Amino acid sequence: MTPSVSSVGTEQQGEYAHLAPLQRRYGELAADDPQRQRLREQLISGYLPVAEHIARRFAGRGEPLEDLVQIATVGLINAVDRFEPDRGSDFFSFAVPTITGEVRRYFRDHGWSTRVPRRLKDLHIAIRGTLAELSQQLGRAPRPSEIADRLGLPLSEVIEGLQAGEAYRSASLDEMLGSGDGNATLGEFIGGLDTELDLIDDREALRPLLAELAPRERTIIALRFFRHLTQTQIAEQVGISQMHVSRVLRQTLAFLHERMAGPD
Amino acid sequence: MLSLELRATAIPSAIPTIRMVAADLAARADFDLDSIDDLRMAADDLCSMLVRIAAGNAVLRCRFTVRPERIEVAAEVDVDDGVDALPTGSFGWRILECLADRVSAVSLPAEPGRGGRVRITLMKDAMPAQQL
Repeated sequence: MTPSVSSVGTEQQGEYAHLAPLQRRYGELAADDPQRQRLREQLISGYLPVAEHIARRFAGRGEPLEDLVQIATVGLINAVDRFEPDRGSDFFSFAVPTITGEVRRYFRDHGWSTRVPRRLKDLHIAIRGTLAELSQQLGRAPRPSEIADRLGLPLSEVIEGLQAGEAYRSASLDEMLGSGDGNATLGEFIGGLDTELDLIDDREALRPLLAELAPRERTIIALRFFRHLTQTQIAEQVGISQMHVSRVLRQTLAFLHERMAGPD
Repeated sequence: MLSLELRATAIPSAIPTIRMVAADLAARADFDLDSIDDLRMAADDLCSMLVRIAAGNAVLRCRFTVRPERIEVAAEVDVDDGVDALPTGSFGWRILECLADRVSAVSLPAEPGRGGRVRITLMKDAMPAQQL
């Protein structure tokens, strides 16, 4: 064992001590050395329990553990590939943040799309499938009871499926942004900036911001808040789904909130 | 009529839960999907406004009243002495007015031993007028 490893947990060192020499060799071999591939695989499978351990720390946030393990393993592979032993740090203190970072990034970027169980996701897809047709027939957004009738499902299931859709769409706002120490969520950065806004003329402040929006976003905001159309009506006019309108509204409002707050 | 009250620490991380409750009540009251989504966003904006002006350690009290024809959300927080500006001129307020059918805010005078209180009430009708 090299002295450089002494700063991390001794249990881990002991367990993985046999990998350290492999790690060093792997670093020394030329990039095209045929031995490298084999060493790389050995290292990855050897350190796999580390990835699993980290993945488990993120369990219980609505993601299946096996998915998390996969993401963590991607992080581990990156760590193995990027680690430079001659930098003087040990592999663990490099790998743990690399793996953790990968899992966090996953939650931040993609977690929202898979935070619900498969059954609910399927249900949500089924519900979505009925929306366009029902909206057109009714001339307005359907009610949950109308969707339930169409799908031949109990109302309670439709409501569950709609909630799944909500998680699907907005959970990212509630995700932790940082390491968890600061407990900051994205939502905290964009919500409730209103008291400062009392001091300025919103209309004046809003105008240039609206000009900054993409044409479609601007149109959607205008239709919703100035012409008071419903999301379904907007969807029809703009030629996208109501779900999409909802998402654009949410994101655009968040943007406007944030920008209205200004750099203070 | 169903009435339900939530008390939460007046901090941003309480808002997603309140927002979810609002949407769930609207869905179970069989509001149409647009109205459900409007109420969800309105509840979010309403609570954000109150959290922003809440005194330290304040409790955000949020009372939902569900009737067949409308849902009412009344939320209030304690505010520090001297905070008497209702957020009615703000951008968030403008959005709230668009999302809900009726919105009102009142500032309740300070009582001995504590500062004032701000309460915002919004109503969402089961079927917006323009959809009839």
